[in-house]
Amino acid sequence: MNARLKQIIGRISFYIGVAAFALFCGFPMIWMVLTSIKPDRDILTSTPVFWSWDVHLDHYRNLFDQTDFLIYFVNSITVAASATSLTIVIATLAAYGITRFRFIGREYIAAGMLFTYMFAPILIVVPFYILMKNYGLINTKLGLVLAYTTFSLPFSMWLLRSFFQSIPLDLEEAAMTDGASRPQAVIRVIVPLAFPGVIAVSIFTFIVAWNDYLFARVLVSDNLMKTLPIGMNDLYNATITDWGMMMAGGVVVTVPALVFFIMIQRYLISGWGAGAIKG
Amino acid sequence: MATTVSTDVSNVPTKQEAPLPMRGRRIPEHYWGYFLLAPAVALVLALILYPVIYSGWLSFHFKHAYLPLETFVGWDNYRDLWSDTAWPFSAADGFWRSLYLGAIYGFGSTILQIILGLSAALMLNESFFGKALMRGVALFPYMVPTVVVAILMKWILNDAYGILPYITDNLGIGRILWFGSDWVMVTVILVSTWTFFPFVVIGTLARLQTIDPELYSAAKVDGAGILRRFWHITLPQLANVLFVVILLRTMFMFTKFDVIWLITGNGGIGFYTKTLPIHTYTKTFLELQVGAGAALSMMMFLMLVVITLIYFKVYKRDEHI
Repeated sequence: MNARLKQIIGRISFYIGVAAFALFCGFPMIWMVLTSIKPDRDILTSTPVFWSWDVHLDHYRNLFDQTDFLIYFVNSITVAASATSLTIVIATLAAYGITRFRFIGREYIAAGMLFTYMFAPILIVVPFYILMKNYGLINTKLGLVLAYTTFSLPFSMWLLRSFFQSIPLDLEEAAMTDGASRPQAVIRVIVPLAFPGVIAVSIFTFIVAWNDYLFARVLVSDNLMKTLPIGMNDLYNATITDWGMMMAGGVVVTVPALVFFIMIQRYLISGWGAGAIKG
Repeated sequence: MATTVSTDVSNVPTKQEAPLPMRGRRIPEHYWGYFLLAPAVALVLALILYPVIYSGWLSFHFKHAYLPLETFVGWDNYRDLWSDTAWPFSAADGFWRSLYLGAIYGFGSTILQIILGLSAALMLNESFFGKALMRGVALFPYMVPTVVVAILMKWILNDAYGILPYITDNLGIGRILWFGSDWVMVTVILVSTWTFFPFVVIGTLARLQTIDPELYSAAKVDGAGILRRFWHITLPQLANVLFVVILLRTMFMFTKFDVIWLITGNGGIGFYTKTLPIHTYTKTFLELQVGAGAALSMMMFLMLVVITLIYFKVYKRDEHI
């Protein structure tokens, strides 16, 4: 009887812990959404108004009408999507090459991959800037795409490599015995099996590109070329902060990513495994 | 699907080395390896490794960011770093001070991330109602772009209108000036912890799931309580993974730029969070001394090399980190 009670209390406190944790992770986002749909007079109060019945979307309208937010958004999508596609192609080829072929220097390339995986943007941003300036890639999307692709490559190759390693060679050989050419065998058999890896790589690259502040800050000064992180930060710094509008911007930037993320999260957990601690 | 990513560099199973039967093959096998790797290797060499070497070269020069000034100065940039005397509480800033602040930030935020991340991973490893949802929720903070995190936290912690100062005030803790000179480092550490602890969850949860449940039932039979089970089973099993996670997280936190910069910026309270990456950025792009900035990034690069060497050593020992 006593043991049973103890168990119930243990269970309840566990769920209280779970709820507290959920609040800790989720509350900032909830507060962001709530602030973005409140009228200004309910935002700028010393006693916060949790819920305002006067729901309106003016902050969103202002964001798109009065600022260049839409341009930043389109720039960000373009750059992130290009970098992601490019990374998938290059990383898949490289990871396949390094797991399926034997050649001199292979181990060094694998080790080099791991080494460059540890680099942080701040380490290379100075010479990178000079390099891009010399090639005339300042204020271009290409410069940013190159930066994000290169930066995500080591981790992506490394991750896909472990996926390819876990796929038995027999499968490929069987497909080829059945008359498929090697590229066909790879595309129809191997890539689908490594799909969680490809998903994980694309999410990783997309987040790198979508999130990056440093490269964009250094490489872009033209307002029409700005991506969301620098565009938003400049909006924030520009005048008296319009909190409602900034929160609306935050929602627009974050929510699509969150929704997408929830949809594919089961691939993520299996795809990332223990290695995914870069950031 | 694989939950543990094999990271072995040296011993790839020989099974996969066998040449494939290829119809009408003209190009020798091994050329394909080079061919497929060429784009990736070219990009990494040209845009990561070359910049680092270039940075090393720059660090021996006096170079202005925009003007075409470039003079060889030997070790001067490094000598300047070494001999700068600014100390944490002085009004000046410099290399040693940034290293000191960087250590507080790096270690502080790493320790908190590990504690929080590991606790969350342990929780998510239990079975309970809503577990799948909670696994998603635990990774939420990582999905919020850094710039949004910075602005959102500035709003939540706002001195005049923020909800958290209001709550702490009503709880009798009082209003903390989160962006005052005394607290701003704590704020930056806490915000970073919130943003980056999901990495620790991802890193450790995968390993936790592979611990044999038999070990726990045996310990339970022996009457070991929850703390003893954690101490004697979970922790030893987790040790290697945890070591690597701590190592890498420390390194990434030491070189973290954007969170700190976006919260505190340059000047004003930014002075109290001027860690090594912020110092490097300021030197290069605001004071326009590219050579001195390069010398600073070389110092970070040096730390990275040391940590990498440790990492490779550990990682050779255990293939499944």
